[in-house]
Amino acid sequence: MSSDTVTFTTAPACSIGALYIHTKPITPDVYGNTKARRARELRPRRNYLLNEDVEKQRRSLLQRNPEVESSVADVEASSDLLQNLREKMPEFMPRPDILSRDRILEKLERQDMYRRREVINIPEFFVGSIMAVTVADKSAPGKQRRFVGICIYREGQGLSANFILRNVIDGQGVEIRFELYNPTLLKIETLKLEKRLDDQLMYLRDAPQEYSTVPFDFEPVPLPKGAAVPLNPLKVKLNRRPWHERWERMNLKGVEDLGLPERFYKRAQELAKPWERFDLMKQYRSTIDDDEAQTVMKEVYAKTKNIQSLRRQQRTQKQKEK
Amino acid sequence: MTLRAVLFQAFNRNSGILKHQLESARVLYVHQQSRSKGSTQYKFGRPWHVKKVNQSINDENLTTENEEFIKEVIHETYTQHPSPLREEPWQRGEYLKFTRRCGVIGIKLGLVPQWTKTGEKITTTLVQILDNHVIRYTPPEEAAKTAGWHPLWRKFGSVVVGALSSDPRQFKKSYNSLFAEAGVPPKQKLTRFLVTPNAAIQPGTPLTAMHFRVGDYVDVQAKTIDYGFQGVIKRWGMKGMPASHGVTKSHRKMGSSGGGREKAGIWKGKKMPGHMGDRNRITKGIRIWRINTKYNVLYLHGPSVPGSIHTYVRIYDTILPHKRPNPDDHPPMPTWFEEDSEGQCPEEQWDEELFAFTEPSVEYQ
Repeated sequence: MSSDTVTFTTAPACSIGALYIHTKPITPDVYGNTKARRARELRPRRNYLLNEDVEKQRRSLLQRNPEVESSVADVEASSDLLQNLREKMPEFMPRPDILSRDRILEKLERQDMYRRREVINIPEFFVGSIMAVTVADKSAPGKQRRFVGICIYREGQGLSANFILRNVIDGQGVEIRFELYNPTLLKIETLKLEKRLDDQLMYLRDAPQEYSTVPFDFEPVPLPKGAAVPLNPLKVKLNRRPWHERWERMNLKGVEDLGLPERFYKRAQELAKPWERFDLMKQYRSTIDDDEAQTVMKEVYAKTKNIQSLRRQQRTQKQKEK
Repeated sequence: MTLRAVLFQAFNRNSGILKHQLESARVLYVHQQSRSKGSTQYKFGRPWHVKKVNQSINDENLTTENEEFIKEVIHETYTQHPSPLREEPWQRGEYLKFTRRCGVIGIKLGLVPQWTKTGEKITTTLVQILDNHVIRYTPPEEAAKTAGWHPLWRKFGSVVVGALSSDPRQFKKSYNSLFAEAGVPPKQKLTRFLVTPNAAIQPGTPLTAMHFRVGDYVDVQAKTIDYGFQGVIKRWGMKGMPASHGVTKSHRKMGSSGGGREKAGIWKGKKMPGHMGDRNRITKGIRIWRINTKYNVLYLHGPSVPGSIHTYVRIYDTILPHKRPNPDDHPPMPTWFEEDSEGQCPEEQWDEELFAFTEPSVEYQ
C-alpha cells in the first residue's frame, strides 16, 4: 500500500502494521524513560481491580454480552420528591464507603428488597417514631411475638438495613434490633409517625424511664393525608452521671442542660473538630454523588409506585370478595 | 475498495490476531526446561510466559478522531473473526469417578445477607463471572513437556481460561497472538486448570455461572488483602506489652525471641514483623446458595472468600471427598452449553433451603 493514500497528516507518524497515524513527538528523560513509563512505575501495586475498571469491562463492546443501560432516566420525578424519598428509604442508597461499592451487587440487593416489599408493607418511619413489629418466633406460645417501642436508631444499606426499638417492660429497659428485610418479620406498623431533634436517640438509655415507656396497647395515631411528618421538639432531661457515653461531646439538640462542671465542657471543646465541616475530601468520601443518588432514587420511585398500585388492587379485590 | 476497507486490511495484515497469519506455533506455557532458582516449589523449573504489557501504548498521543477510528477497527476485527466454534464441536465426555473439570475466573463483589427457609441468617459472598473463555486445551502428553510440570500431574491435561476481554493495543504482539486459536480478544487475566482428558473443552467456548449448579460445593482461590509491612501484633496476634507501669518503648514489640543454652539463637520460622497478606489462599468446600444467570453472579456461603473487593477469584469443583460431585449427580460436562437448558434459562436460581424473596414470610407451626 502506498503511504500517500492513507496518511492523515505530514506530522511524525507511528505505524500499526502499515497504518500511519498522527502523533506528537515523545521526549525521553536523561535515563531514557518516557513520562508514561515513569508514571507507571510510580503507581501503587494493587492485587485488586479498581471499581471504574470493572465498570469499563462490563460495558466494553469487546465483551460477549456487554451490559445495556436500563431506561431509568425516563422516569419523571422532581428533585424534591427524590430527596424526600432518599430520607424515607435511606437503605436504598449506595454504600458510603467507596472501596466497598459495587453497582451490580447493589442492583441485585435492591431487586430483593423490592420483592420483599411486595410481600409485606414496610411503612415510612424515622428515628423517634413509635412502632410495632410482629415476628415469627419458635419459642413463643402462639409462634408469634409482638413488640412495641420507640425507634432509637436506624442504620445499614441494602438487605442488612436495621433499626432498634426501645421500651421499658416491668421497670427494665428492653431494646431489640430488627433487620428490615428479615423474612421472619410478619408485620411492621408505625403507630405514631414523627421525627425528633436528633438523628439517634441512644441517650434515652441514660434518661428517666418515662421517656422510653410505650404501652403495648398503644393506639395508632393517624396522620392526615398529605401532611408533612411532624417534628417533636421534646427535650429530654438526662439522669445524673455515670452515663454510657459522654453525651456532652456529642453536640445533642434534644437534651436539656446537662448540668456538668465547667471542666467537662472545656474538654469537649478541646476535642471538637469544627474544621471537619470544611474538609471537602472527607465529605466526598463519606457521601454519595448527587447524580448517582438520583439515578438510584428514580429506579426506587418507579418500583415503589408499582408496588403501591399492586397493593391497592389487592385491597379492592379483597373488599369485593367480602 | 473504500478507504475504510484498505485501512482495515492494513491493520490486520501484521497484527498476529488472526489464525492464518501465525507463522510458527504459539506457546502459552513455554516448553523449555529452565533451571530451578533454589525454591522447592519449582523443583522442575519455573513456568514462564510471553511478555504481556506493551510499554509504548501510553506514549502515542493520538488525535481523538484517530482514536475512535482505531477502536472501531478493533471492534470490527473481533466481531468478524472466524470463530473456531463454527467447526464441528468436540465430543462431550462422561463424568467418571476421578474426573476433574475446568474452573472459572470470577471477580469478588462483596458481602450480602440471605436467609434460609427456617429463618436463619447467612452471609454470602457475591462473585461475578465476567466474560470468561477457554483459550486452549493441552492434552496430558503435551502438558508433560511444559516447564514447571510435576510428575503427580501425569493424568491431567491443562485448560487455560481467560477473563476480561480488552484492547489489544495494551499488550505485546506475542501476547495477542495467544488468543488467535480461541478467536477472542486478548484477555486481561489468564489461569490454568488441570483437567482429566474427558473434561477437555474446545477453545473459544464461553464459560458462565451455569458452569456450576445451585447446591454444589466449590473451592475458591484468591490473593488475600495486602496489608504491607506489619508489626507483630497485627501479623501474628501477639500481645505486646502494657501501656503503662514503667514500660518504655516496647508497647507493641515482640517479647523474647528464644531461649538459652542448646536452644540459643533465633530459630527458623520465628514469628516476626514483615510483609502481611497478598498471598494465594484456598478456601475449600463452599456451598453455592444462589445463581443469577443474567449478570453471571454466584452467591457463595460465608464471608471467607479471600481478598478484598474486586480481586480475581479462581473457582472450581471442590476436591473434598464428601462434597465433590459424583457420577450419579454431577454438574454439566465439560461445561454448560446453551442447548443444555430447555427453553429459556431462568434468571434467578435459588437453593431449595434458601428463602426466595418472592415467597411469603417465614412462619412456624
